[in-house]
Amino acid sequence: MLASIARPVEAQSDPALRIDAGLATIQQPAIGTVRGRETADAALLAAFWRRPLDRATLLASGNLTYARDSLAAVQAVAALSVPWRREPNLRTDIGGAGATFSLRSAGTGGNANAFVRQHLVRDADGGWVGGAVGRTRRDGVPSATTSADIGLWRRWRFLYGSASVAYQHSSDWLLLYTAGELDVRAETEYDLVDLQFTLQARGGPHDLTLAWTRRRVFADGPVSVPALQGSGTYQLTDRVALLASVGRQLADPMRGLPQADLAMAAVRVSLGPQPLPIMPRAVVAEATVRDAPTGEVVPPGEPVARLLEIRVEASDTARVTVAGSLSNWDPIPLRWDDGVWIARVPITAGTHRIGIRVGNGPWRAPRNLARVRDGFGGESGLLVVP
Amino acid sequence: MRALHAPRWRILGPALVALLLGQPLVVPALQGQASSVALAIPDAKTRLVVEREIARAVSRGLPSAPLVAKAMEGVTKLAPPDRIRAAVAAQAQRLEQARGLLGPTPTEAELVSGAEALAAGIPSAMLKQVRAAWPTQSVVMPLDVLTELVARGVPPKQALERVVTLMRRGATPVQIAGLGAAVQADVAAGLAPDAALEVRARGVMSLLPSPAAAAALAPSGRRP
Repeated sequence: MLASIARPVEAQSDPALRIDAGLATIQQPAIGTVRGRETADAALLAAFWRRPLDRATLLASGNLTYARDSLAAVQAVAALSVPWRREPNLRTDIGGAGATFSLRSAGTGGNANAFVRQHLVRDADGGWVGGAVGRTRRDGVPSATTSADIGLWRRWRFLYGSASVAYQHSSDWLLLYTAGELDVRAETEYDLVDLQFTLQARGGPHDLTLAWTRRRVFADGPVSVPALQGSGTYQLTDRVALLASVGRQLADPMRGLPQADLAMAAVRVSLGPQPLPIMPRAVVAEATVRDAPTGEVVPPGEPVARLLEIRVEASDTARVTVAGSLSNWDPIPLRWDDGVWIARVPITAGTHRIGIRVGNGPWRAPRNLARVRDGFGGESGLLVVP
Repeated sequence: MRALHAPRWRILGPALVALLLGQPLVVPALQGQASSVALAIPDAKTRLVVEREIARAVSRGLPSAPLVAKAMEGVTKLAPPDRIRAAVAAQAQRLEQARGLLGPTPTEAELVSGAEALAAGIPSAMLKQVRAAWPTQSVVMPLDVLTELVARGVPPKQALERVVTLMRRGATPVQIAGLGAAVQADVAAGLAPDAALEVRARGVMSLLPSPAAAAALAPSGRRP
């Protein structure tokens, strides 16, 4: 359930449709005067859909979790991700989500929320700030939640790290009461502050993520709750991947979801026209024009005056290609040379559009070039050679 | 040798026919070129719609090469046929618009640069201002640099002002290209694009003759 919620901010340029199906063991607090835990085996089904438009990206996701009489939940998220016209590094996500649930631990009801988030996305780092409002009805009792979060991320070669702080104010007291995070009287409002650090390693078909959260609950008195969650993906083929996740997911009043300790395994099948990008974040590509050494000959054998040198830092298990107006958009493979993918291509004076592709990921502009829209929902690098 | 001395009617005949049909002479050749290049598209449906779109553009006197390149870009990026057709049609529209703005007789390279500038969001009136600054020289490089600056985040008005000033002060295409490269290096080093442009434009300007001398030295020859 809880681990397979698709994030609404995967605003890449390629269309995508993927389905996750799997099994999970979920351990939740049992409701009652004596606190205990109960374990349920659940089936998971989730779908994620993304469609690029001319000036925005539409995203939608939904998931179903079912464990007979102890747990049933359906969630749906829809979002629009809009890059800024004048500043392509800025992007605004806006969207909403809805859920209906029947949980032995946390009652029966539904939830709706809306969010807006502003992103700064640069090649190797970025950040976001956002907010959301949500309403939940649990066993006929309404509650409200507001939240704000801010975060930073940075990439070092194949490592991606982020740090964020999220603040939530909620009147959904039953949710935390059952989780054992709050020992309060009924109808109490509370504040949550989550400090989260995430570390992700991406290399070739592998993807490992570790998330550590420290939650401070402020109600009658502050309570501190830690949570650690690990997850991994292994890309079997362009279209099929295995997912696994284990750890604790803290209660989420914004979405009406209770705390759960879970272990999950699933298969992901990508059905869209573009398979999953294997490692979009691990790419650092640069394009530089150099004078060719005297007598330099590049196949097919013509002496050249100038060379475009493309250098890409990516896993040695990926394949890397460059294409552009200089090759009439015929992909040219890069070669692996001492830890870097590299290609030297003869180039003439004029304006060239260039794209780099790693594995089956989207075509991207080298990071040191100006980026222009390509008319296909993506981008190209613009290079002016005098 | 016989071919060189072919009867004049063999040369004038197609010209007269083309004139009567109201079509430019280059059309049949370009149509053939478009078809043969577009045939490299593996998907039959995509190939058909792209060929039609290019043929339509060529019949309006537009060059086929930039349209074929746009189609090939879409094929390489695995774009769906509708999207490729739309991108080619949009490129043709921009080429046509650039032809009107950079008139009276822009070169193919100027059309391509003008279309790129429009695609980058540069207002059409600015293309006219670039042409007005250099009515007889090729505006390929000024347009390319203007496009690059705007794509890097320099406000179009500021970028135009600097580029046009350099053009009027007698900067060479290489000096204007150097401005783009220097701004690129500054931005990569962390400077804001508009600040980088200001600094670099002043640097290039300091190497140029005074406005009066520039007017006296202004080239009068026709662009290549």
